[in-house]
Amino acid sequence: MSNGLAILAVDDEPRALADIKHLLETSASVDRVATATSAKEALVYLSGGRYDALFLDVHMPEIEGMALARLLRRFADPPAVVFVTGHPDAAVEAFEIQALDFLVKPVGRERLEAALDRVEAQSRPNSAPMTTPDAVAPGAPAGTGGGPDVVAVDNPKGGGKRLVRLETISIAQANGDYARIVCDDGRFLLRTPLSQLEKEWSPAGFARVHRAYLVNLTQAVELRAQLNGTAVLVMRDGTEVPVARRNVAALRRRLHA
Amino acid sequence: MQDRAHASPTTPAAAPVSVHFVNNVLAAAASYIEVEPDTARDILARLGAFLSHRLRPSRVITLAQELDHVADYVRLEQARFPGRLEAELPQPERVPSTECVPGEVQAPLAETLERWLGQRRGRVRLALRARMDGATLEAQFDEPDDPASTAERIRISLSSPATTAGGVS
Repeated sequence: MSNGLAILAVDDEPRALADIKHLLETSASVDRVATATSAKEALVYLSGGRYDALFLDVHMPEIEGMALARLLRRFADPPAVVFVTGHPDAAVEAFEIQALDFLVKPVGRERLEAALDRVEAQSRPNSAPMTTPDAVAPGAPAGTGGGPDVVAVDNPKGGGKRLVRLETISIAQANGDYARIVCDDGRFLLRTPLSQLEKEWSPAGFARVHRAYLVNLTQAVELRAQLNGTAVLVMRDGTEVPVARRNVAALRRRLHA
Repeated sequence: MQDRAHASPTTPAAAPVSVHFVNNVLAAAASYIEVEPDTARDILARLGAFLSHRLRPSRVITLAQELDHVADYVRLEQARFPGRLEAELPQPERVPSTECVPGEVQAPLAETLERWLGQRRGRVRLALRARMDGATLEAQFDEPDDPASTAERIRISLSSPATTAGGVS
């Protein structure tokens, strides 16, 4: 099971495509990004895998973005379409064909995240709500309430497993079917979805603050509000973790408890 | 370069700037910020020069100034489409001392070049030449990697700036 979004970005302009790919890849909501430089290439990708959304240029050679979007509506389970274009005038037509969003190049981070929120809401309307920090036992020590003391992670040096004490882990980040673990000894991969880790580690003081992040609240030092209603949780080592808008209030109460 | 620009009440307006072009150049600049910051800065500087040339109040300029503007435009297209555009432009200091309005050469060139870059996958070559009469330029577009492709030529006739803007023939 994957926690993040799978996005296919389509644009015939290589640098514009590189820009949107970079933005998507560095978004905590996105797990996988594929790119195509034409509508035909996009159709090949779509025939080989499922994507939550297409980030689609409007004007492309051969098959234009609007035509591809219309074609996708015939799919049994079409991905959401977000137009990314230098043509602001195309917005009306985009919404006529029920595009989920319409972004004008160059795309800002905040606007992109808002579009991804809409994709997430549309593609996973029935997904289980994230555990709010209120549900976490406050300051519970590792090993209490049935939680593990140590976890076995993949050892990148020489293979095998390495044992990591749970209390030394600061962040677990969704990475496809894996979780990327950040701890005092470095970064490791764990072959467990974040949702399962959330259940197992909650008694040890971990909280899901974002779809892609599980954090050890005992290592958090600051909650920094953002203008768009989200927040950033600053960890002891200075790492900044995004906090989803819907989790901010509960997390603030939890940290001030 | 000496600025010989001047305006009169009847000076035709500069050719309009394509919003699509500006937005895509900005997206290209954004893509370079982390990997090639100097390239990103160069793109933004050239875009600034491009917009200044076109958005300043209506005025008459020299053909040499317009060719500097075309050079900026070509560099911006090369940033959008790396490795896909070759351009041969007249040396501004060697063209006849003709006058025109901002964008009078760039706009028709861009209209054709956008189509060539959009509809083809390979490299596109642009060769622009000014006729010695000073009133006409000729542009040829072709694909250097495809000998079988058919070249396209356009002629750009400069207007008499005090009356009307020029066009493509």
